[in-house]
This record gives sequence, C-alpha cells and structure tokens, in this order.
Amino acid sequence: MTASSINDRDDLISYLHVAMALEHATIPPYLTAYYSIQPTTNSDAAHIIRVVAVEEMLHLTLVANVLNAIGGRPDLTRPGFVPSYPAYLPDGETDFTVELRPLSPEAVETFCKIERPRQAPNADARLLRTPDDGNPVLAFSPTAEGMRYYSIGEFYAEIIEGLERVAADDPKLFSGDPALQVGPEYFYSGGGAVIVVSDLDSACRALRFIAAQGEGLDSGVHDADGELAHYYRFRQLQLGRYYQVGDAPDAPSGPPLSVAWDDVYKVKVSARLADYPAGSELARAALDFNVAYRAFLVLLTKAFNGRPGLLQDAVCDMFRLRDGFNLLVRNPLPGSDGLHAAPTFEIPAAFGADPEAAPAAGESAQGVTR
Amino acid sequence: MTAPSFEEFLSLSVDLTAFEETALLGTGLARPYLATVRAACGDEVVTALLDAHRAARAHAAVDARGHDRALPDPALLDRALLDRALRHRIFSDDRIGPVARNVIKLWYAGTWYPLPPEWIDCYGARTAAETPAVTAAAYQEGLLWRAIGANPPGAKAPGYGSWAQPPRIEDRYLNGATK
Repeated sequence: MTASSINDRDDLISYLHVAMALEHATIPPYLTAYYSIQPTTNSDAAHIIRVVAVEEMLHLTLVANVLNAIGGRPDLTRPGFVPSYPAYLPDGETDFTVELRPLSPEAVETFCKIERPRQAPNADARLLRTPDDGNPVLAFSPTAEGMRYYSIGEFYAEIIEGLERVAADDPKLFSGDPALQVGPEYFYSGGGAVIVVSDLDSACRALRFIAAQGEGLDSGVHDADGELAHYYRFRQLQLGRYYQVGDAPDAPSGPPLSVAWDDVYKVKVSARLADYPAGSELARAALDFNVAYRAFLVLLTKAFNGRPGLLQDAVCDMFRLRDGFNLLVRNPLPGSDGLHAAPTFEIPAAFGADPEAAPAAGESAQGVTR
Repeated sequence: MTAPSFEEFLSLSVDLTAFEETALLGTGLARPYLATVRAACGDEVVTALLDAHRAARAHAAVDARGHDRALPDPALLDRALLDRALRHRIFSDDRIGPVARNVIKLWYAGTWYPLPPEWIDCYGARTAAETPAVTAAAYQEGLLWRAIGANPPGAKAPGYGSWAQPPRIEDRYLNGATK
C-alpha cells in the first residue's frame, strides 16, 4: 500500500477538500468562455458551456454533501481554493494548463482535456510526481507530498475506494449532522438531482455521479439516464455536430452546429490585476468583481455549513456576478493590443478563514494577492 | 471633415450621463450609439456637439484666477464650472442642445427619440424624426435600470425571489438618505 492511500477519516476529509477545489476550479474557465460570447451569437456553444458549468456547481454541492456526511466542514474560503490561473490539471502522463480564455478552438481543446475520461494503465500509475515549477496543481494528493493523480477519474476512484475502506473499519464514519445536507429543496434546475448523503451507499452514488457526468472514468457517450457526458458535449463544438443516442464516440450523427469564433470578445488570456492600468476605473471594476466573488464564496460556505437556505441568496449573487462579468469583457484593456478585460479571479485573502468575519463586497480594496 | 471621434463621444457621454466610462463601455453599445447619432443628425452636427463639449471641458480646466491648468485631467476639472459651461455651450444651443438631450435619453432608455419638429425644420435631419430601436440589447442596457436599481422587465433576470428584496440603489443616488 502506498503512502497515498486513504487510511482514516482525516485523510478522507483532506481529499474531499481537494475535490471541492477541483470542482470549483473548472468554473472560472467555463464562465470566461461563456461570457466572452457576444450577445445573440453562438447560441449552440453558449448553451453547451452553460449546461456544463451549471453541472459543475452541482458537483461542488455533491462533494460538500459527502464532506458534511463524514463530519468535515466545507470551506470555499481556504487559501488556494480558487487557483491562480494558469493551473495544471492532469491528463494521463502529461499535465496541461488551464487558462481563463475567450471562446476559441484553444479553449474548447482545454475543456475537452479537462473532461476527458482517462484511466491509468495500471494501479502503479495512478499516482504520479507533480511537476516542480510553481504553478498550482489540481487533483493532487493531500496525503502524499509532491504527488498528483493520473486523472480526475483516478482521483475520484481513490476517494471511493478510501471511503469503502474507512467505512468498513469505522461504523460511525457517516455521523455528520443531517441538517447540513443540501437537499433538492435547496438546489434544483442544476443538471441532475442533488443526492443527500447519509451512508456509504449514497456517498458512492454521489461521487460516481460526478465521475460519470464529467471529468471521470469513461462511462460512454451517454449515461444511464441518456445524459451526454461533458467530454462529448464539448466534442460537439470541435466536430460541428450533435450526438444522438447510439452514436460512436467520435462520430456524432445529429444535427450540425456551427460556432462563430469571431463573434466573441477577445479577452486577455488569464488576465491579472497587474495588467490593469493602476488606479483606473477599470482596475477598480476588476477588483470589485474579485471582492464580490469572494463574498459569494463566503456565502456558499455558510450555505454548506448549516444554512442551505442561503443558496437562494447565492442565486441572486450569481446574476450580479454575471452583470459584473459582462461589464468587464465589453471594456477594452488598455495596453493589450485591443484585447478586452475579464475577471482575474485573484481572490482577496485578507479576511481570514472565518467566513463569519468576512466583510461585504466593496469594503476591501487591498490584500488581493495570495 | 473628419468623422466624429469615438473617444470624444465617450467623453461627452460621461459628462452627459454621469456614468463612468467603464460603465458606458460595459453596455457594449457605445459604438452603436455613436452610429445612431451620426445617422440621425449627420456628422456636421455631431462634430459641432463634440467641439462644444471639448470647449466646455477646456473652460472648466481653467482655474479661478484664469490660469490654464496644465492637464485637463477629469479629476481636476471644476465640476461646477463644467456644469455651467455645458449649459451655456450645449444645452442652451438651439442646434446641439436638443441633440445632447437626445443622447442622454439614448443612453438611459436605449431609444433614439424623435427630435423636435422645429429642430427638423431648421436643421433638416435625416432620420431624426424617427424612433429606431438601436439593437435589442439597447433596451436591456439602458442606464435607467442601473440608476433605479432594477432589472429591465423581461431581461437580465436578477434571480428567483430577488424581487422580494428592496432595490439596490447606488449610494450616489441617495443624496444622504438611508436605504
């Protein structure tokens, strides 16, 4: 047994924290591509990206439910929860970087890599050494230093095996407060039904659902419910055609779809606050977005820690974030050869770990570096 | 005659609407709006409006002792002087005053309203008498919704149940009143 394996509840909790960060880390890249699309154009691409982004939010909630069920405390305000982009994701033997990009062939290729089902060739290859060049690595092992998983699917396979192993030794593993669970009364219209987790069976169902819907191990083009897996959703943008039930993986036979790659705000790739003119209105707008995003993560943290009703307020926050996103992408970014601005997702870390102590949006203009 | 400058139109719009440049560009409609005004009034009138605006700004950049301030940095402009200069040079002018008012309405409502009949008689605008919708997006991006803290009905949904909450009116509109 390698040092990577999951031996007790604490190991599981640390893995599930990484899983939450991983699920979240895909959302800013998807949103950047989505909101770069100019109004009334690219409805096919917009719809595909939107569906996937919303399902990632469901995955985030499902992981939070598993974490709560074993007595962990979901925390979306932990340092590093929002990675600094570009971030590394594993894709088999080779890592790749995830950038914040406008809708483009490069963006779709990255999305396909994020969602591509990949199984390690053998058990020894599940854990690989992480590259040592300073960029954040997603799907890393929290218990084996310097190691990361072969793929997101293998990462989840490890957690599921760990849950089964620890649950077998510890009959009280699932002793989390049931009141902390986010049930379907709080989370709906989100690309599948939310699963309330109370035991090993429901925990494994929740994690397998994540793996089957996207990112995970190959369960075919369509899942048991006829839902198209994320990888194949994005493949449609590359292949210019929709899948139908029964299609072979690389041969969709449905209606054609077209992408107007030029009807897009060309936002600067992985823009940083440092790219914004110091002291400008635009820099303040970018900072305001990050502060609002931080406040949103604080709200989600409260919702996942016993106040699920706050998810209702979070929905309103998401619409305000949408308006802030649109404002930035429509503004040219001075000094960037005609590229446009976009949120930087550099989240202020100066508020401390206690979500209750965090100020409201707009109160902090400093402390944005991590 | 050179075509009216987009940057100058943007600067004029900042002073006419009291919204920041970032917010105006954030509507995605600044260029379509300039095209609308040009189509409606012709470049000669638009250029005269922009010239008058530039002169008003230059006037406001002159300090009380009559000395030219080196840089007409917007932050250094005398707001009261600028306000008066805009009234003198633009709003009280028979030709460009009504156009400036229409530019304000364009930004706030997303619609180009007809200019007054007497203006049409004197200055013979092309489509000035019509009320063309600029684009479908113009209604959604009207500044009036921002100003009253509401979403345009039927668009830019604010989220289920959000209508039960009081509107979020920006502090600058409250004039010291509490929310």
